Amino acid sequence: MTEKLTIGRRRLMGASALGAAGWIAGGGGWMLAPRGALAADPIKMGIATDITGAIAPGGNANWQVAQFTVEQINKAGGIGGRPIELYLEDTASDPKVAVGNVRKLIQERKVNVVLGGITSAMRQAIKDPIVNRGRTLYIYPQLYEGQECTKHLYCTGPTPAQQCDKLIPYLIKTVGKKRFAMPSANYVWPQLLNKYARKVIEANGGEVVFEEYYPLDQAEYSATIGKIRDGKVDCVFNTVIPPGLQPFVKQLYESGFQKNGGVLSCVYYDENLLNYHPAQEMEGLYSCLDYFLSVDDPFSKQLQVDYAKKFPDTKYPFTAGSASTGMYRGIKFYEAAVKATNGDLSREAVSAAMDKAKIDQGPGGGAEMVPGKMHCKMNMYIAQCKVDAGKTRYDVIESDKMVDPKEC
Amino acid sequence: MGIEVKLAFDLLAFISVMVLIVLGLGIIASMMGIFNFAHGEFVLLGAYTVYLFESNGLSAWAGIVAAPVVLALLGLLLERFIIRRFYAAPIIAMLGTYAIGLVIREIVRGLLGGHYKSIAEPLPGVITMFGVDFSAWRTFIVLTTICIIAATWLFLSRTSIGLQVRGSLENPNLARACGISTSKLYAFTFAFGAALAGLAGALIVPLYQLSADIGTRFLVQAFLSVMLGGVGTFEGPVLGAAAVGGMAAGLPWLVIPVLADPLVFVIALVIVKFRPQGFITQGRL
Repeated sequence: MTEKLTIGRRRLMGASALGAAGWIAGGGGWMLAPRGALAADPIKMGIATDITGAIAPGGNANWQVAQFTVEQINKAGGIGGRPIELYLEDTASDPKVAVGNVRKLIQERKVNVVLGGITSAMRQAIKDPIVNRGRTLYIYPQLYEGQECTKHLYCTGPTPAQQCDKLIPYLIKTVGKKRFAMPSANYVWPQLLNKYARKVIEANGGEVVFEEYYPLDQAEYSATIGKIRDGKVDCVFNTVIPPGLQPFVKQLYESGFQKNGGVLSCVYYDENLLNYHPAQEMEGLYSCLDYFLSVDDPFSKQLQVDYAKKFPDTKYPFTAGSASTGMYRGIKFYEAAVKATNGDLSREAVSAAMDKAKIDQGPGGGAEMVPGKMHCKMNMYIAQCKVDAGKTRYDVIESDKMVDPKEC
Repeated sequence: MGIEVKLAFDLLAFISVMVLIVLGLGIIASMMGIFNFAHGEFVLLGAYTVYLFESNGLSAWAGIVAAPVVLALLGLLLERFIIRRFYAAPIIAMLGTYAIGLVIREIVRGLLGGHYKSIAEPLPGVITMFGVDFSAWRTFIVLTTICIIAATWLFLSRTSIGLQVRGSLENPNLARACGISTSKLYAFTFAFGAALAGLAGALIVPLYQLSADIGTRFLVQAFLSVMLGGVGTFEGPVLGAAAVGGMAAGLPWLVIPVLADPLVFVIALVIVKFRPQGFITQGRL
């Protein structure tokens, strides 16, 4: 399927309903042309995300947020009078498939910018076809392990410094936990995040009792629970991910860890992920992200109202953990940058403007690029999970304005 | 001392889960000579049945009772229209059942939107014995597994249908000559294996949460169990599952966890090297 596929609003609604059910077939790619697209020369924005496969919940949320944000921009007159055209390619949670599909965005669609990728493996796979061979600007929206300092690649999600610098001292000094365990899934994000977190723990007078890595789908954790108990661990800093996560959390809960005063913290946990567990297992969990639904600022609240209007009863809420807030920020940064260049879309010009781009508002607050660092300062929130009548929610405990990403 | 008992109990619970999953696979492999690669998805459908019941406001218990029935019916249908054509070609049967499994898995993934769904234990809380808390649901699983093993064994070794099943396995031609309808028996056996898979899925899902891959997680280890225990007997796969489950849960105590998984395979393969027929060879063709 190489023909250009232009679809109207109605067809697209149908398509996104299919996408919402997880049934969009990869390979074709979609284009969302704004109304009156012919009026001015449009700006072409490529979204490369995981519509199918294991990361599909995150990818579909990203795609919905991209549609939502672009629609808002187009309704307000586009960028300097030029509308944005959205092109979607499915990266299918599989870097091998992704490279080919991303090339389509660059070579056939000739997009001006690509946003997307959720896992680090995906970013590593698609950054070369986009940035080096494709000579195109790339914006990566997910919270991640840091150390990505490629020119023309901008990261709009939180870094380890942003997630740990506030949370870990809080756990040690305010909550009073000193002995940490780091159970982790065996891949790059936990390994590099733990390296950073360990430094912060030790600098604050805490101690890492053990740091251990598991296959991603491990189903039995009695050995780990034994170590947690023997080591008198009082804080579990968890980076195990689903599907290995649920049995771990259940066994930890059953062992009475929380009942005996232990604390579980997990820095990628948003509202979506709470639903992966029975409520009582999540009670008291600490997370640290750039946004929670309970963040009480009028702009974020309005954003949620509008999002719910566009995608009523969606399975893919607009939350922080699955790169959605980073996607919103990325598109708005790009808008700000193109405004600054007065519509010059050449990569060098936009990239130079991106470097000092600033957005005043967004989910959880505004954000600004740190010049020369390709990462952005943003507000960070520490929240704790509370349970009311079997329903989970996050209570924001502390927030910090414009936290430095400390990268590059 | 309490915690040791408890962790030993967790080990036992995991072995029970493994045995539950392997039982249906073992019976189909042993009694029919079909390696059912859709077994993981039968487990998934059992779990999904409980989820459907729960999300429609019905009791999870009803879902657990319904799961084996639903899977038995599905098993009958699949056997009648698809599996039956594969009896002469076991290799093609593997590919065919793999395809069936893939279709089921991806449909369920679509229905779930790729999400994980949490299903609460129908028996929440703990049972306290000798001052140690045992998870009520894990206890229920251990006891149910023991009952199912006993019932299945009695059924296959002490009833006339069981005798016919075993007879058809040893010599289908002679069985047919004696007036036994082997095609009906095979259909029944396949449905029975599928029902056990459905029950396994329904029972384990509160421990792991529902996702499209819940069955695939266990499938390879389940096949390893059958290989280790020996095809052609009932007891073999059960023992194999106990060994594999015990190793998978026990090895992380001794080596780093990422090594434990491959080590299970290495140890199992070494055992198979010295006992290529599996633990139990009696009753084999």
